[in-house]
This record gives sequence, structure tokens and C-alpha cells, in this order.
Amino acid sequence: MIFREVEDRDLIAKARRGNVDAYNVLVSRWEKRVFNYLLRLVGHREDALDLSQDVFLKAYQNLKKLEDPARFPGWLFRIAHNEAYSLLRRNRPESELAVEPKTGGESSGRMFPMELTLAVRGALSRLSDDQREAVLLKVYQGFKFEEMAEILSCPVSTVKSRLYTALDLLKQTLAPVKMGGAE
Amino acid sequence: MNCSSEDLKAYFLGELSSLDKAPVEDHVRACQSCREELERLKLTQTTLLALEDEEVPRRISFVSDKVFEPRWYETIWHSGPAMGFASAVILAAAILTYGFTRSVVAVTPAVDTAQIEQRIEREVNARLEAVVAKAVSDAQSRQAAEFAKVLDATEKRFETRRQADLATVQQAAEYYEKQMSRWEIALNDARAGQ
Repeated sequence: MIFREVEDRDLIAKARRGNVDAYNVLVSRWEKRVFNYLLRLVGHREDALDLSQDVFLKAYQNLKKLEDPARFPGWLFRIAHNEAYSLLRRNRPESELAVEPKTGGESSGRMFPMELTLAVRGALSRLSDDQREAVLLKVYQGFKFEEMAEILSCPVSTVKSRLYTALDLLKQTLAPVKMGGAE
Repeated sequence: MNCSSEDLKAYFLGELSSLDKAPVEDHVRACQSCREELERLKLTQTTLLALEDEEVPRRISFVSDKVFEPRWYETIWHSGPAMGFASAVILAAAILTYGFTRSVVAVTPAVDTAQIEQRIEREVNARLEAVVAKAVSDAQSRQAAEFAKVLDATEKRFETRRQADLATVQQAAEYYEKQMSRWEIALNDARAGQ
């Protein structure tokens, strides 16, 4: 991880000097994480891809404003967060329609992998955007509370509140599923 | 420690310091309810992580575009070795320029060209006059010395000649004196013979 950070720092330095190839290497390292974060946040594959491209383009254009290259991940996800919420605000009605139907959170029985995937997607989709994003940043991306607060531009207490509420909701839906319906 | 859902979640999410962890762990060991709660949280996380990341449908990559590329000076500015090299080149160029144009630079500070030309002309004239005056003076001195030399030689020659003439005159005088004496003797003898 340390080597990875060092290498990312080198790539960022080269990209800042206009080395597009170095930036493409950096993109290739982060595109999957950013794409999946955006996909789970906005719920549409094409939107997530378009947003990912916008995120990396904006990141390249503003790379010189990144004071500490070690903070690149948080900085990148902050751009992704802003881009995603711009889209969510524009497409609010469609976004609400796009929410996947409930997939039987209280259902019982062993889940097959596809069912499990659908159950998780369903559980995530029933969270509010803020709650879902808190889960995505913490559980899937591994950011600390302070980093999340910077990405989301909110106090740590708000981050905790959103995340704890989301975990309670997810627990109600997902824990019994895995446990064979015994909550 | 009492049951605290927040502390338990913070512990579960790895957000507690080592100092704050210990009391939570002690409580969980003693509290069945919190142990079960912790298990459910772990199960929830495991289930969430079962959702695998999807591959990006199309690779995101950028091509070099002049619009987004930094200016050449920005590239140099952000490059340490290039900046050092550029500095060395500029310094070398400055030294060379100074070396080649130093005399010009020494004269150029004057603002008015005509004034400079006048000053140069005056300076040149003054120096020329000084040189001419010195040359004339040297020539005069040389001529005076030569004249004195010639005069001296002439005087010496004249003196020698005068001495020679004097000697001749003296000899002639002595001759005539002797001749006169002879004539006088002869006359006296003649008179005495008469």
C-alpha cells in the first residue's frame, strides 16, 4: 500500500507536468473503484460511466490544485461525490423511479449468489442517497470518518449519524437473509 | 460500561483508538446482547461485500490534447531537472551576452544619442589635440636639440678655423716680421754701406 501510494504520487507528479500517459495509468488504477462507487450511488451503468469520465477529466484539469498528493483518493472521491449529486439533483424524479423494487428484505431461506446480489442492491437502494453514500465510502472504499467528512463536506457527527442509521437499516434487511431468515 | 450502540458501531468500523477499544471489548465479552449485535453487524458487512465490483464497461483513457496540456513554460516550471537546466542555459546566455556586449553596454547608458556623439567627438578632439601638441612639442624639442648640436659643431668648426687662421696670421706676421727685420737689416747695411 505504501508502494502504491508512492507510485500514485509519482504518477500525479508526472500528470501535473502534462504527461497524459502517466495520468492514464493513474486512471486505470482508480477507474473501477470510482465507477462502482458511482454505479451504486446513481444506479445506472451508463450514467456511472459518463460520470466516471467526467470525474477523471475534472481531476486532470484540477490536478495542480491538489496540494498533497497523498490525499488523492479523498480528493478524487470528493469530485465523484459532487458529480454524482449534480446528476441526482437534475434527475431526481427519474432517480426515484429507478430505485429497484424491494427484493424481499424480510424473506427467509438461503440466497443464491444472484439473489444475494439483488438483495444487497435492493437494500442499498432503499437507503437515502446520503445514507447509501456513507455506506459506500466506509464499507466499500474504507475511508475514515474524517476523510468522509471532507469528501461529503459535512461534520464527522453527520457522517456517523448517516452511517449508523444506514447500518441499522441494512442490518434489519441483510442479516436475517444470510442467517436464513432468523433475525 | 453500559451498552452503547454508537461505541459498538465505531468499534466495529475500526474508528476507535486503542485506548477506547479496550473497554468496549471488555463489555462485549461480558454482554450477550452486544455480542449478538456485533455478530449481526459483521454479517451485514460480509453480505454487503458479497456485492462484487463490476468491470468498467469501457476503459477510461485520455489522449494528449493541446487544450489541456500545460504551456511549455509550465512544463519547465514544474520539472526540477528541466528547470535547473533552463536556469543554467539562461545564466550561460546572460554571461555570453554580457561578455560580447560589455563595451557597448558601457557606452549605452547615455540616453541621448546625439549627446553621446558630441561627447565622443569632444573627447576624440581633445585627445587628438593633446596628441598633436605632444607630437609638435617633441618635434620642436628634437629640432632644438639638433640645432644646438649643429650650432655647437659649427662653433667648434669655426673656432678651429679661427685658431687655424690665427696661427696662419701669426705665422704670416712672424714671416713678415722676419722679412721686415731682414729688410731693415739689409737697409741698415745698405745705408751703412753708402
